[in-house]
Amino acid sequence: MPNIAVYIEQSGGAAKKVAWQMTAEARRLVDRTGGEVWAVVLGDAACAAEAGRQGAHRVFTAADDAFARYDAETWTRALAAFVATRRPDLLLVGATAVGKDFAPRLAARLDAACVSDCIGLDYDGGFRLRRPIFAGKCYAEVAVEAPVAVAGVRPNAFPLFAGGGVDAPVEAFDPGLGGFAPHAAVVETVTSAEKKIELTEAEVIVSGGRGLKEAANYQLIETLASTMGAAAGASRAIVDAGWVPHSHQVGQTGKTVSPKLYVAVGISGAIQHLAGMSSSKCIVAINKDPNAPIFKAADYGIAADLFEVVPALDAAIRTLD
Amino acid sequence: MKIAVCVKQVPDSETRITLAAPGPELDRSGFTRVLNPYDAYAVEEAVRIKERLGAGCEITVVTIGPIRAVETLKKDCLAVGCDRAIRVDEPALENAEPLQTAKVLAAVLRRGAYDLILTGKQAIDDDSAQVGPMLAELLDCSQATVVTKLELGEGVFTATCEIEGGAAVVRGSLPAVITCQKGLNEPRLPSLPNIMKAGMKPQETLTCADLGLGIPAARSRVTTYTPPPPRAACRMVAADDPAAAARELARLLRDEAKVI
Repeated sequence: MPNIAVYIEQSGGAAKKVAWQMTAEARRLVDRTGGEVWAVVLGDAACAAEAGRQGAHRVFTAADDAFARYDAETWTRALAAFVATRRPDLLLVGATAVGKDFAPRLAARLDAACVSDCIGLDYDGGFRLRRPIFAGKCYAEVAVEAPVAVAGVRPNAFPLFAGGGVDAPVEAFDPGLGGFAPHAAVVETVTSAEKKIELTEAEVIVSGGRGLKEAANYQLIETLASTMGAAAGASRAIVDAGWVPHSHQVGQTGKTVSPKLYVAVGISGAIQHLAGMSSSKCIVAINKDPNAPIFKAADYGIAADLFEVVPALDAAIRTLD
Repeated sequence: MKIAVCVKQVPDSETRITLAAPGPELDRSGFTRVLNPYDAYAVEEAVRIKERLGAGCEITVVTIGPIRAVETLKKDCLAVGCDRAIRVDEPALENAEPLQTAKVLAAVLRRGAYDLILTGKQAIDDDSAQVGPMLAELLDCSQATVVTKLELGEGVFTATCEIEGGAAVVRGSLPAVITCQKGLNEPRLPSLPNIMKAGMKPQETLTCADLGLGIPAARSRVTTYTPPPPRAACRMVAADDPAAAARELARLLRDEAKVI
């Protein structure tokens, strides 16, 4: 019976959404196979109280001054100490900037299997993990063939726990740091000037491409995104043209996203763009060219001038009754 | 300063994966192979550091791959300013998992006392983004990942890393493993004369046995490759009147797709 540990990443004292999504999926799995879900919290333990209601059976917390600022080596040591003493069969880590930074380092320290960016989780005597490769052009089923595995999980791949959780017992563990000094650490965090929704975590994304004709028209995308409570994305073409920063780019050399709704505006649908967003649950394409490849990937399409459709869509969404 | 750049030859981003049905193998025969785009930022950064520091700075490019990887090493690495190349040729490591790759690269890097190890933030074939941090652990040194700006001081570095909604500044001691992201620099193209001359630069080919290493065991295995789930045909909303089309779309998204 597998025991699954889930690393609960925090941001400003609250757990990241992906942490509870992983907890929920792990719980759904062990409800079938037997075994337990263990939430693991480093530093501020305020979110520990919630873990049970999110599906965890037990919560493990570690306190140390070193958790005040993030570095990959401290996180690696602390979680390696947890794995060595509690021996979970699988440790889930959200595929966030922090998770992607330390999870491979931890796997190397544990000599464990390491599988990135998983979107499916199964067990038949061994773990079977499903993940997109080639930026989503293909999926791989990966069998874990080691006593322990570290798996990254893509945000929004799994729904939250739908009730039935009860308060879980909280237990402290020794992170084994003993005055450990890392070689490097985060010394400063810079937040973007504008308060924007992060692409990889967004439930709705509105993206613009070359059909916008010029940089100033990206405003149309930002306005619609704001109306929809969405993040604003971009095709590689307009990032390379310098209209918007690279942090907005969706595609094989940008961000891979899987929101509930992806609205592609003036994007032709080059294969490297499709690769980054084709796992979105619902895709809308707005493009003047009815033969644009984006329509082959879309669920809903409007083949018309985006300069007419986008403001009208913005108004229509504002006035939906 | 001794710099190592770890690179991988990958199918280019235009590659179409043809997979009619789920199966244990992926047909990789028709792929056009290029330098992993993120590794190009690592190569360029190394060359810019060398141009700043001048003499006494040497760049070694390291890859694991078959004979076809030599072209990438020559054209995209040696021809743009790397000084020498090391290629580990080990058929058993074809499609190796990242930890196997990291163990072999670490064995190569341990022979060289490098101050700085640069690589791409991820390879665009398996998209694992694991080798960089794994190398840092195996070599017990600093790491900074998804870096868009890098500054070097005396035995120290400061790196700006892309994170959700902003950036994190990581400071640490050298040696360090830095994984490079788009935005760090603009990679240059090789000139024809430099491509011709690249073949004269020292190139070493090694096996795991040369490194005193067995083939590292895999910890996982891809059992099945599957095509992405098929999508139903696109429902086109009549667009004679764009305003009406927009209203209809908004209604469909709310009532049918239930996504807004």
